Amino acid sequence: MIVTYNWFKELVDFDFSPDNLADRLTMAGLEVDAMEKIGEGLDSIIVARLESVDPHPDADRLTLCIADSGKDKFQIVCGARNHKAGDLVALARVGTILPGGLKIKRSKIRGIESDGMLCSEKELGLAEDSEGIMILPPDLPLGKPVLEVLGLKDVRYELGLTPNRADCLSLVGVAREVGAMAGNPVRIPDGVPREEAPDAASLTSVTIEEPKMCPRYTARLIRDVKIGPSPDWLARRVESVGIRSINNVVDVTNLILMELGHPLHAFDFNLLRGGGIIVRRAGEGEAFTTLDGQDRILSAEDLVICDAEGPVALAGIMGGENSEIQPETTDILLESAYFDPLTIRRTAKRLGMHTESSHRFERGVDIQMAPIALDRAAAVIQQVAGGRVAEGIIDVYPFPVKEKKISLSARRTREVLGLELDVLEIRSLLKSIGLDAEILSDRPEKDTLFVTVPTFRHDLERDIDLIEEVARLHGYDRIPLTLPTGRLISHRAPFRHRNADRVRDLLSTTGFSEIINYSFVSPRLWDRILLPAADERRRNVGILNPLTDEQSVMRTTLVPSMLETVSRNMAFQSKDLRLFELRPVFFSSEGEDLPHEQLRLSVALCGRREPEGWNHEDAQVDFFDLKGAAESLLHLFRPEKLEWDSAISEPYLHPGKSCALRANGKLLGFLGEAHPKVLENFDIDLPVLLLDLDMDALFSSEGTTSVFRPISRFPDIYRDSAFLMNESVSAGEIFGLLERKKNRYIEDVVLFDLYRGKGIPEGKKSIGIRVRYRSAEKTLTDEEINKAHGKIVEELCKTFDAEVR
Amino acid sequence: MKQRLESMLQEARSAFENAGSESELQETRVRYLGKKGELTGIMKGMGALTPEEKPVVGATANLVKEELESLFQARNEDVRRAEIADRLARERIDVTLPGRSSFRGSKHPVTLVTEEIAEIFTSLGFGIEEGPEVEKDFYNFEALNIPRDHPARDMQDTFYISEDVVLRTHTSPVQIRTMMRHAPPVRVIAPGTVYRRDSDITHSPMFHQIEGFLVDRHVTFGDLKGILTAFINQYFGREVGVRFRPSFFPFTEPSAEVDIQCVICRGAGCRVCKNSGWLEILGSGMIDPEVFRSVNYDPQIYSGFAFGMGLERIAMLKYGVNDLRLFFENDLRFLQQF
Repeated sequence: MIVTYNWFKELVDFDFSPDNLADRLTMAGLEVDAMEKIGEGLDSIIVARLESVDPHPDADRLTLCIADSGKDKFQIVCGARNHKAGDLVALARVGTILPGGLKIKRSKIRGIESDGMLCSEKELGLAEDSEGIMILPPDLPLGKPVLEVLGLKDVRYELGLTPNRADCLSLVGVAREVGAMAGNPVRIPDGVPREEAPDAASLTSVTIEEPKMCPRYTARLIRDVKIGPSPDWLARRVESVGIRSINNVVDVTNLILMELGHPLHAFDFNLLRGGGIIVRRAGEGEAFTTLDGQDRILSAEDLVICDAEGPVALAGIMGGENSEIQPETTDILLESAYFDPLTIRRTAKRLGMHTESSHRFERGVDIQMAPIALDRAAAVIQQVAGGRVAEGIIDVYPFPVKEKKISLSARRTREVLGLELDVLEIRSLLKSIGLDAEILSDRPEKDTLFVTVPTFRHDLERDIDLIEEVARLHGYDRIPLTLPTGRLISHRAPFRHRNADRVRDLLSTTGFSEIINYSFVSPRLWDRILLPAADERRRNVGILNPLTDEQSVMRTTLVPSMLETVSRNMAFQSKDLRLFELRPVFFSSEGEDLPHEQLRLSVALCGRREPEGWNHEDAQVDFFDLKGAAESLLHLFRPEKLEWDSAISEPYLHPGKSCALRANGKLLGFLGEAHPKVLENFDIDLPVLLLDLDMDALFSSEGTTSVFRPISRFPDIYRDSAFLMNESVSAGEIFGLLERKKNRYIEDVVLFDLYRGKGIPEGKKSIGIRVRYRSAEKTLTDEEINKAHGKIVEELCKTFDAEVR
Repeated sequence: MKQRLESMLQEARSAFENAGSESELQETRVRYLGKKGELTGIMKGMGALTPEEKPVVGATANLVKEELESLFQARNEDVRRAEIADRLARERIDVTLPGRSSFRGSKHPVTLVTEEIAEIFTSLGFGIEEGPEVEKDFYNFEALNIPRDHPARDMQDTFYISEDVVLRTHTSPVQIRTMMRHAPPVRVIAPGTVYRRDSDITHSPMFHQIEGFLVDRHVTFGDLKGILTAFINQYFGREVGVRFRPSFFPFTEPSAEVDIQCVICRGAGCRVCKNSGWLEILGSGMIDPEVFRSVNYDPQIYSGFAFGMGLERIAMLKYGVNDLRLFFENDLRFLQQF
């Protein structure tokens, strides 16, 4: 919504500077999004009289002029041809920067000095296009800034209005607020046309079939108007608030729209078949061409303005092509109505139409303004386009609307706001914006107001709405700061939230960077990570109205987004990557209202094991780096009975370098090296290790709180043994055996060496194991340990067909 | 024999003096004081002495032994000190060589901002709540006094999953869910992911918000101003100006937009604040009685306030990030700056 300083000046008395007014509007809840000072810096363009106009001695197309500013004389070379001696012109003096950015310099044109420039309307920023220089009206004072004396110096504000303030979708509406700030009333422009016989009712008629959708319809008939361009003042006025000037009649309806906030529509009366208006619902599937040339298919929800044969306008939204004002139109029927906001909104939304008119009707216009706006429009049309206004106004208003009355307790106002205000102060605040309030004398302490809400304030329905007005008019800034007091309560963060924090803390401090990808992805990603057709992750939750196909379904796995992130970083030569994402995924769940949101963790690892450096080995990460990270993570929650099961895996992982992870038999997720085909699908040319965990499952398998075990005060003894074993024996089996044997003195077992190659036969490997023994009660003797260790070595050799090296 | 002891003492004194290293000193000690050393050798002749001579010679031998022991100790101390001084003078490393570092991780800036804001509000007695990102129309709109066909729905372009299920457009549904579960008083913040159907240079279809609300008896608009000002003072600093100005949200009345003085230009006017000197950071207001009705709180007894802010916006101001898209591109060179 665009408003201007000069227009306000006509509607209300105030003496705020343009900057101060902007501030005040914002602080009153009418936010100024932008402010443009028109004509600022153009005071050096002054009114001058052309003393002489002669041909340039060396150029046929140029003239040599002497311009008189009343004080000085200027020699100007000018390329235009529409000026003569005696004309008043706009002289831009040296140093002026024109709105287009051109800086006026002293210059020599074909050998003759030019001491400024004579401007065209276009150069002054007053018109899109113009021919020749601007010739000013003859009575302007010489030497004064042109834009100032023409009244074109102005400040334009763009307001970002909230949807509740429909009353401020007009100059008068905003001026009412300005008046409240200045303590002065707004002057509502009105006008009454000169009427002549016959009676309008004898020439036309209005019938409302749907009084709920159209509670009021007023109309006037004006004959013998002359459609033509608007006079300058009218064209400039509508253009000052961003509306293109079209012709005198349309410009008047737009003037009233902006001034009073009431949308009007003008029909070519001679194109109305039958000469009368019927307001009815559209037929289901009824076709209609709006004046923008679009064919619309209507429904029975829509309200249309019809003549005897069919629709001529889509009520409150747009007129029809069939009854539009033409250059040769002579008789017009002017409509000023009130339509039900919901009806207009539904139709506009369904048809994807948004007009100045629908914008206002949707939010609610002032039903009492309808005849006032109509009369003023008719009067101004008569002024700018001539015409004979038929006697009387047609006003179909079957159920007159009563103003709302709301009672407001001053005590409650004080309680909600935390502000000391008495009933009289509240009353005077409300009065400043046109709300009448009487003090109810029958209530205790005379503390309650009975407030009458004018019909332009649809947003004021309850006492709380009035309390907001009181706060707003008093000034939010003047409400004192306090801190609440109250009962203590414990409201700890949810379990999942706290655990997620622990995971982020751990990973971010151990070298991993957190990423956040969009929750919606392309379903084609499921193919790129090779999910089979039956995979449950393909049963994703879809978005009905996605912005693009790339964001059309909710993620069921974080893995593909992670791979995209890896790929994108590699394209920027970041190849040593340690990334994690901890976010929900979404599964549609049968019989539930909402999808199941499962918190998952995705980790990716690739590139060097350690940062590049003089003291670091140049090794690349492998499965065991990832497993180590996973183990640190698991240690946070200490789930019981962990299994690393290589028997099952994910389609996107290398089958020989991956496994499932279980705790207490419950699947937590998978980890491993990405499948080469998948890497290819994401244009990644380095191995990537991936971990994907169901964090809800992990959190819920958290082990019981640790219980303290006494620390032994006796020394340890350890024994190292190396075995030659078959490749097929896994470390897990060896640890499993040692676990099962449960020698009571074993404190821990370390697999300290794994060797294949020189000296070891094909198909075999050498494994070095260190077993540490300790007792809680005594110092162990060598003999005891030799015996125990011997048994273990023997057991390992026997079970795994191994030999001691 | 006494003479032998004395001459040995002379000899040993100079031997200890001349020993230049710890090992030479040890050798010297063994030579004179060891089990098979010279002192022992001399003492073997004790048997040949008369009973009168024995105690005299014995006492002398003890004196000799004591003197040599303490001489050894003193010399040993000297030698070790010299050796350490020598080592310290020789050993040198280049401390400007880079350390044996490991990869540095980082939390996403949105996480960092969330954590700090949550920490401030928990210190003010607020708890933390969460809610689903895919939400029922009822919680996202209806219960928040945003009926269907209301122009306020235009303020938030919505992604739909079905007619009644949406991607939540704000964290406010957590208000409803929390109030339905807990009787007043409640003091809660709710950080979370939200979605709006809008994508350009200044809008992301997914972003993050933190919601907060407090309901109790006798909560005033002054309290809302007090709590939010306390938060802003903590987060942006005490010197940053704050202003509250009227606005509109369907679920609060009165509603207020909260601006802080531009952190870039300190209120002088710049590109970031569009020359206004102020930055909008929070929406807030007193919870609308309609909202209380939908959660069965009695608006005659209870009042409260709610507020919400966009976390990317806060992060942009806090860290001077100039492009919203960076938050979701996950470029390591961006992430590792935090």
